[in-house]
Amino acid sequence: MRDGREGIPAGKLARSMLSRSPDLPPEPREKSPGPRKVIPFDPEARAAETGSRTAMTGHRPSKFILWVEEVTVSFDGFKALNDLTLTLEQGELRCIIGPNGAGKTTLMDVMTGKTRPDSGSVYLENRLVDLTTLSECEITRLGVGRKFQRPTVFGGHTIFENCELALRGNKTVFRSLFGRMSKADHERIDEVLETVGLSERRSEMAGLLSHGHKQWLEIGMLLAQDPKVLLVDEPVAGMNHAEMERTAVLLNRLAGERTVVVVEHDMEFVRQIARKVTVLHEGSVLAEGPMDRIQNDPRVIEVYLGA
Amino acid sequence: MTMVARIRQRLLQMHSLRAWFCLLGAAVVLLAIIPLSNGILPVRSALHLPDYLVPLLGKFLCFGLAALAVDLIWGFAGILSLGHGLFFALGGYAMGMYLMRSIAGEGVYRSALPDFMVFLDWKSLPWYWRGFDNFAYAAGAAVVGPGLLAFVFGYFAFRSKIKGVYFSIVTQALTYAAMLLFFQNAAGFGGNNGMTDFKRILGYSLQAPSTRLTLYVASGLALLLGYLACRYVVTSKFGRVLAAIRDAELKARFCGYESTHYKLFVWTFSAMLCALAGALYVPQVGIINPSEMQPSNSIEMAIWVAVGGRGSLVGAILGAWLINGGKSWLTAAFPSAWLYVLGAAFIVVTLFLPKGVAGAWSSLVQRRRR
Repeated sequence: MRDGREGIPAGKLARSMLSRSPDLPPEPREKSPGPRKVIPFDPEARAAETGSRTAMTGHRPSKFILWVEEVTVSFDGFKALNDLTLTLEQGELRCIIGPNGAGKTTLMDVMTGKTRPDSGSVYLENRLVDLTTLSECEITRLGVGRKFQRPTVFGGHTIFENCELALRGNKTVFRSLFGRMSKADHERIDEVLETVGLSERRSEMAGLLSHGHKQWLEIGMLLAQDPKVLLVDEPVAGMNHAEMERTAVLLNRLAGERTVVVVEHDMEFVRQIARKVTVLHEGSVLAEGPMDRIQNDPRVIEVYLGA
Repeated sequence: MTMVARIRQRLLQMHSLRAWFCLLGAAVVLLAIIPLSNGILPVRSALHLPDYLVPLLGKFLCFGLAALAVDLIWGFAGILSLGHGLFFALGGYAMGMYLMRSIAGEGVYRSALPDFMVFLDWKSLPWYWRGFDNFAYAAGAAVVGPGLLAFVFGYFAFRSKIKGVYFSIVTQALTYAAMLLFFQNAAGFGGNNGMTDFKRILGYSLQAPSTRLTLYVASGLALLLGYLACRYVVTSKFGRVLAAIRDAELKARFCGYESTHYKLFVWTFSAMLCALAGALYVPQVGIINPSEMQPSNSIEMAIWVAVGGRGSLVGAILGAWLINGGKSWLTAAFPSAWLYVLGAAFIVVTLFLPKGVAGAWSSLVQRRRR
């Protein structure tokens, strides 16, 4: 697995030209409250909002679910993320795009605890803990799920066991040694397997699945994990057209109930699913907004779409 | 579900009914028929097991237990330890210290101290020898001490994400360092010569056939219980998580499992099993010295498991018996050939039987069924 970096950064020379200009879309930081202010999390409000992801009421304290604040990550002097600030709303489906080296995967690594940032913080939900101080598993337990770029399933386990391992619940050594699966757990796995269409093959080895099926199994595992925020890294890489469409439907269904963040290269796919798009460039947010506006933004065209 | 049904279900998860019967059969042979053929049958009977073979078989049982420990960490967690000889030897040393204390006053110098301490002109026992005159304390220390060492070592190694061949090398280095330490006279463990001349355990003479038979049965029970414990662990969800960590650690972490805790648990448990084997081994062979910590000993343990079948608990035990049986026979019949045979066995298994004898057997059975 590559370590966050995505090859040579595009357009290094253009860096100075592309620094923030006044006509940028509103800074995400402005929307987000101050870094130390604690917003109480209100589960009912969250549940009420989940139905209408476009509702921009703005009054509810739980409108946002994830704050990435002024995060900087550098590898050997190269800034993979440069003072990046980003906020995610409850239940939205956000696409993050950008050329190679823009920092997309590094951003995911920071949000999930795989990479520690040099500075900056990431807050979840009620803003009580800074995710950058936690380990991968602690972050997962708080409700941030991640799907890798390459499909990673446990090849030596059956499809059912893969879901069992992912299932939300107590994951301590003691519980694994002496715990038992409840009836509700079984039902939950049945439901998940139904959703991703792998019910019939539950006792097959996951390692024998085709690439596309592995992707779905991995999404199924994330469903079993039941995260609040779902980070999906290039979900349609290597998929054919039909599989891609199915994935789009699946991701759309997931959003609303939970927040879904998709990092994707395939622009056609992004157009299919995206409502709001964030364009990263050289470790910072270059533009953010609805897809049609982004598509016509001259700076975006210059660094990414046109290229 | 009632408690009984729940236990029954769990037992059937560990083994099929048929496998339980096979296990029962093996236990009867090891723990009843073999001891009885030595203890009850007349010496002239063809089926009588001669006394000199009892400690040898007891030794094999201890090796089987050590092989289980290595298989648990290597076959199921994918962590190749080349340091299990250390835990084995430390367990043995703790037992040796008890046996030395129980002959206090009977040494060459008639001193209350072990002979080697008199030789060093020491006047009193070092602090770490205190309590070893008590059998229960020594037995506890034999298992807990190495377990503690494994825990501390594992904590730092796993926390620093030391993996694969690096981990193997570090464990090997640890064993080697410990060997050098134990070679020192000043360390207080008898230096080069280690400890020997043991006479009795819990008041029973170590030379008496009945004591030897009891030690054999104790080793057999330890092996059986060790096997059941390992089987319980690997068939629980813990075992599935362990395999998941072995195959894709990062993914397992992103599923919410703190892989360090899982590895640390299985590593410590494995070290304790191995130490138990060493503690049972020493009274049966009558000597413990630093050569037990030789790097080659730990490597040989890995070979037992590789030959028997990594990832199969029964295979690991069989591998230990196969190699040690071959060693006992060949070192007597063709002393110079043994190492070549061992090397050749390892190469053949690596090339042609990647899953060891147990793997070859099960694929044979599967082909038959088709």
